[in-house]
Amino acid sequence: MGVTILTQFALENKTGPQTVEVLSKRICALGAVQQGHFLVDCETYTSVPQLGHQRTVHVLHNSEQPATVFSLLDNGTKITALATDGLFDLLMMKMSQFYTSKKQTKAESKGLRYEIGDFYVKLGTVTVSSNYKGILVEVEYRPCVVPAMCWDLLKEFLQGFLGLTAPTNPPTYLQNRMQEVYTPIDTIHQYLEHFTMFRKSPGIYRN
Amino acid sequence: MSLPGNAMDSLSAALKCNIIPNQEYLLQGSVLDQYVEVLLHRLRGLCDNVDSGPESFHDHEICFSLRIPNTAASTPMPMSIFSLRVRRALDVSDTPYQLRYIGQQELGDKNRPTVVRSSIDMACSSTILEFLTELGCRIEFEYIARGYMFRKGRMKITVSKIFKMGGNKPESVEPISQSYLVELSVLAPSGQDAIGEDMRIFAEQLRPLVQLEKIDYKRLGNIM
Repeated sequence: MGVTILTQFALENKTGPQTVEVLSKRICALGAVQQGHFLVDCETYTSVPQLGHQRTVHVLHNSEQPATVFSLLDNGTKITALATDGLFDLLMMKMSQFYTSKKQTKAESKGLRYEIGDFYVKLGTVTVSSNYKGILVEVEYRPCVVPAMCWDLLKEFLQGFLGLTAPTNPPTYLQNRMQEVYTPIDTIHQYLEHFTMFRKSPGIYRN
Repeated sequence: MSLPGNAMDSLSAALKCNIIPNQEYLLQGSVLDQYVEVLLHRLRGLCDNVDSGPESFHDHEICFSLRIPNTAASTPMPMSIFSLRVRRALDVSDTPYQLRYIGQQELGDKNRPTVVRSSIDMACSSTILEFLTELGCRIEFEYIARGYMFRKGRMKITVSKIFKMGGNKPESVEPISQSYLVELSVLAPSGQDAIGEDMRIFAEQLRPLVQLEKIDYKRLGNIM
């Protein structure tokens, strides 16, 4: 487990599959080897009105940590994170009288996973309730766990295959946590930020 | 590597194949303090972990509940209550917290040898206490359990002393009674009723030191 940066990517006049193909060619030209697939999904539950002020529970799964369920509880002012075993999903079903699932907002990012030296690259196609929304690129630098120590390296690597549209600043979520030890839940926070943006966007989201 | 499946799909598949251990078969009883040594001695002889001796534990358990008033007039209960229990080890640091849902006990057949209730048990991060509070849960009660755990096949036997929480200091706890709680339980997928019979036979072997029984919680007047 290293430090992961998640960023949206779009190309003018190109569809999702075309964009993924361009990126895949670029990354393979750099020497990347395809290593299977990946999937990150998010389901959102909201509290029933009788429970008082509205709270939202986002339940996420990441194929990189297949035995874990990540939950982010948003009470409007802060987000509380929880990591549990897989049976948490079963518990959410039992809680359906208190927290109801908003099926039309189910978001996922899935696609191919590549390995290139110390980096993992994942090219994800994002859908919200099966509607295509855009492309999310995930890059993980594995030998380091402190974002501040490897941000410049990650930035340069991202520029190497995303070109000028690569991010110039760390993701908002990471900006206040640059000196802290990076853990899998931080990746989940980043995915949720992007999924929320995609859900709000009316059609295909472009940078 | 194959395509990673959707987590919810694999969960539904696991539910369909009935491989999730979500039923607890339970028998309970108690033994007076002065006889607990005899019972422990007997259990040491009967159970699997003979060489290593019994495993001791010292846990803190908090029971939370979510409540909402029932609006439907047809339901007999005025409130919908959902309870969750969080357990953490006080004697071992760095172990994950345990989160547990226990459902109502199944009425079922009177001849069934044990209590059967649904149970979902999982390890979780230490943020669970804050998570449940933010979720809208409130603390119902908490206690400390200290004792020994034995295994016999897939049966689990615990002999534990239950303590009231005494303020914030762990040393100032007070036992709630002059006896130990004895529990015999198995977590298994539903429909494995044969295990109930094994448990009844094992419970027979502990008589008359301890009488393990099906406890009817409704009779005790508890709100479950």
